[in-house]
Amino acid sequence: MNLEILLPILLPLIVGLAVGIVKPSYDKRNKIIIATTMINFFLVLYILIFKTNKILHLIKINEFLDLYLYPDKTGIIFAILVSSLWIFTTFYSIDYMGEKNNLSKFFMFFLITEGITLGIAFSGNLITLYLFYELLTLSTFPLVIEKGSELALNAGKKYLIYSFCGATMVLFGVILLFSQTQNLSFIPGGIVGSLVYGNKDIFLMVYLLLFLGFGVKAALVPFHSWLPSAMVAPTPVSSLLHAVAVVKSGIFALGRMTYYVLGWKVIEFTEGNKYTLVLVLLTILMGSFLAMHQENLKRRLAYSTISQLGYIMLALVIFDSSSYVGGMLHMLFHATIKITLFFCVGAIMHYENKTELHEIAGIGKKMPKTMISFTVASICLIGIPPTNGFVSKWFLAIGGLEQGSYLVPIILLLSAFFTAGYLIPVISTAFFKGNPAQEVEISEPNNFMLVPIILLASINVILGFFPNAIIDTIQLAADKLF
Amino acid sequence: MINYIPIINILILILFSFVMMLIRKNNIVKFISLASNIFIFLLSILLVKKVLIEEVITLSIGNPSNLLGIEFYVGKSEALVALVFTFVMVMILWYSKFNLEKEVEENRLSFFYILINILLASLLGVIYTNDLFNSYVFIEVSTLSACGIIILKDKKENIKATVKYLIMSTIGSGLVLMAIAYIYSITGHLNISNIHEIIINNYQFHRNAVLIILGLFTVGLGIKSAVFPLHSWLPDAHSSAPTPASAALSALVIKVYVFMLMKVLFRMFSYEIVNSFIIMDIILLLGSMGMIFGSIMAIMQKELKRMVAYSSVAQMGYIVFGIGLGTVSGTAIAIYHIIGHAVTKSSLFLISGLFIKKTGSKKIEDLKGIGREMPFTLALFTLGAFSMVGIPILPGFISKWYLSLSCIEVGRVPLILIILASSLLNLLYYFPIVINGYFGNENLQGKIYKSKKIPFVRLLPIFLLVLSMIVIGGMSYNLIGLFSI
Repeated sequence: MNLEILLPILLPLIVGLAVGIVKPSYDKRNKIIIATTMINFFLVLYILIFKTNKILHLIKINEFLDLYLYPDKTGIIFAILVSSLWIFTTFYSIDYMGEKNNLSKFFMFFLITEGITLGIAFSGNLITLYLFYELLTLSTFPLVIEKGSELALNAGKKYLIYSFCGATMVLFGVILLFSQTQNLSFIPGGIVGSLVYGNKDIFLMVYLLLFLGFGVKAALVPFHSWLPSAMVAPTPVSSLLHAVAVVKSGIFALGRMTYYVLGWKVIEFTEGNKYTLVLVLLTILMGSFLAMHQENLKRRLAYSTISQLGYIMLALVIFDSSSYVGGMLHMLFHATIKITLFFCVGAIMHYENKTELHEIAGIGKKMPKTMISFTVASICLIGIPPTNGFVSKWFLAIGGLEQGSYLVPIILLLSAFFTAGYLIPVISTAFFKGNPAQEVEISEPNNFMLVPIILLASINVILGFFPNAIIDTIQLAADKLF
Repeated sequence: MINYIPIINILILILFSFVMMLIRKNNIVKFISLASNIFIFLLSILLVKKVLIEEVITLSIGNPSNLLGIEFYVGKSEALVALVFTFVMVMILWYSKFNLEKEVEENRLSFFYILINILLASLLGVIYTNDLFNSYVFIEVSTLSACGIIILKDKKENIKATVKYLIMSTIGSGLVLMAIAYIYSITGHLNISNIHEIIINNYQFHRNAVLIILGLFTVGLGIKSAVFPLHSWLPDAHSSAPTPASAALSALVIKVYVFMLMKVLFRMFSYEIVNSFIIMDIILLLGSMGMIFGSIMAIMQKELKRMVAYSSVAQMGYIVFGIGLGTVSGTAIAIYHIIGHAVTKSSLFLISGLFIKKTGSKKIEDLKGIGREMPFTLALFTLGAFSMVGIPILPGFISKWYLSLSCIEVGRVPLILIILASSLLNLLYYFPIVINGYFGNENLQGKIYKSKKIPFVRLLPIFLLVLSMIVIGGMSYNLIGLFSI
């Protein structure tokens, strides 16, 4: 038995529920949460070292509801990403959320969500993933509406409806798929194989349903509009859930579906990726365009997320080893970059009460460390060498070229300009606008906030210089697929 | 001895209902009613055990080949459905022990328990029987006792609802009786197995008559089980009745008529025969319409109990849909949904009753912030809602999944869209209650944590119902394999 695999999922769930029921005092609660997320990180590392490619059967209700966990390389990479970023967010949110009442409920769902996201990472078949995917919607919903205002409730309802419509499409696809294959497990290269011959239309339908369904969480245009609305959530939630955990779970599920369930050869045979490629390119361009028009900083970042998710999805519609590596890299790098950007914006919101672009004129002088971190992260996202954003985009472009598509590098280049177009104004307003003569006292955020921001910014830079260890791991996974 | 359990069950219930009439003290009546129901629940467990070994138990009273003979036929599906029904009834009685006084006047209280016993006896009768005329008698008894428990409240709306129910039900019974007369005139038998033997060889010569019989049975039993366009009595009746009565009506009573319909369609006739008529397509259409329109009507409701009642119309749609597929697997899922929905809907109704009792209002909008006042109760409601929406492992999801697979099996893939659309619609009316109950500053303002808490002992029957719902979901694979008509 490999019961240890269950630990990183159960620990946050149980501690979360305990926090919600017992409602410990402020100090105690913080200690418990920090300890839990840290222990969980080491549990994931333990699984990486000792339990990779081990299987744990949870419950078998019938031939399709056969829940089991199977952490392979791809899943563990995602799990490490999730569990490490969760630690940063924990520190950040302790300061950000302050000592308000009723926060036990918030941290309860905060921890539960970590467990469920790790469940998605370790799922061994499509139905287990679907179960955790539905639970993720339910556990993140209370976080989105934490403020409890009318606006937040409406945004939350929008999020629920979009998510459940997506999940319903997924379910339709899964049912159709199951009726053909009688099997839903993840196997590199897919489970369909030669079944596709003669059933091309059904598998095309399955592919499109699954892609669009999971695409809702991955903010695929035209199903993206819940993401900017959900920015009413507190910043730690927006950063972690809506730039990292939820959307990345959508991407992760898409990756599993493309490479481990249907298999890229099958999709290529059905030519379904031709349709989805259009949507993905549209996502990249529309996200960038819309981001440039946002006054509200968080919404600007939200649209930027949509566009960046498009890059990652490129790797799922162009079937090439290099673009797969590029996509996986961008999934990791975008997570660390975007969480830094969100944390900086959140710090400004929290300490200065400023949310709009024109309000932050000259804030660079007041919070230099925060804004320098923001600048570093922006440069990474734009993809100027030698940052990590450059590395991932390079692989994506090469993948596109290898498949003979010149459109991909062109769009990548264009979008890099757009990325600069929506991030540079923030930096220039912060540093160069405002009254230069005015003396400003430096007031940086509390260390709980500042340390994660600076650490994450430096991680971005370090990953840009030394990406090889990660690239090699992903390359190994890619070799199995192609 | 165990072979006689079906008849013993019915006799015990009826016997004790007459005993209760003679007793004036409410507490003793309550005790007798609960004791007799628990006793037959235990007997039903024995029966299930026996049936799992022996497949089928038949029990003849008189000579079944003779017109006057009565025959009980208990297969696995009958025994299991009866077991779940008795279990739900015990839970409902346990609940009413604490909560009925508020809704029903003191001097009418014993009537409730008397009628519940008669009602359950007649429901079991319909489930067990293998005889058309016998089933007709039990159907009538169940209708009348159901009317009785609705009218116990003695308010204007109850009387209106009961009269409506009575009239529509009587039309239904009339149609069923006509159908029985027809079939008797063709075959000369009332025993379902005997009719089957005759009709299987001769139906080609009487195609029109068979079509009429099928139509009469479908419409007649359809009215009683509130199949979509014939449902108009249900929301009034089920929402105005005392809460335990609504739970019994919605969870149990409407189900037995569909169960009877299945027996008529698939045991008296056969899959081959019914599938050669247009009637199955019509049933499928009615089921689909019920799933969609029942949910849409539920969304528009402002009162909690009416919403839950309309949700029953939608859920009946699933069962009828399963029948309409006209396959063995479709029937198995229909029976599975009967028991899955029986436990889910009874718990939802009972919880609604608690909400109404504690807040003093029937309106959904007055339930805002209830999650702070009654956190555990709303959590149970949420689980029931999850099943309706279709979160994996819970019975609602299982039914949808197997129904969809059956759709693919018969080559009707687009019908899956209806199933999925209906589950999304379920989301739209169950989730607002949960969300407004637990979240939102305005909703929670001025609400005191656990101020309307209900002692856990009193919640226990609901808790057990929800627990059994999860168990039924978890055991779905084994269960569905047992179900056949």
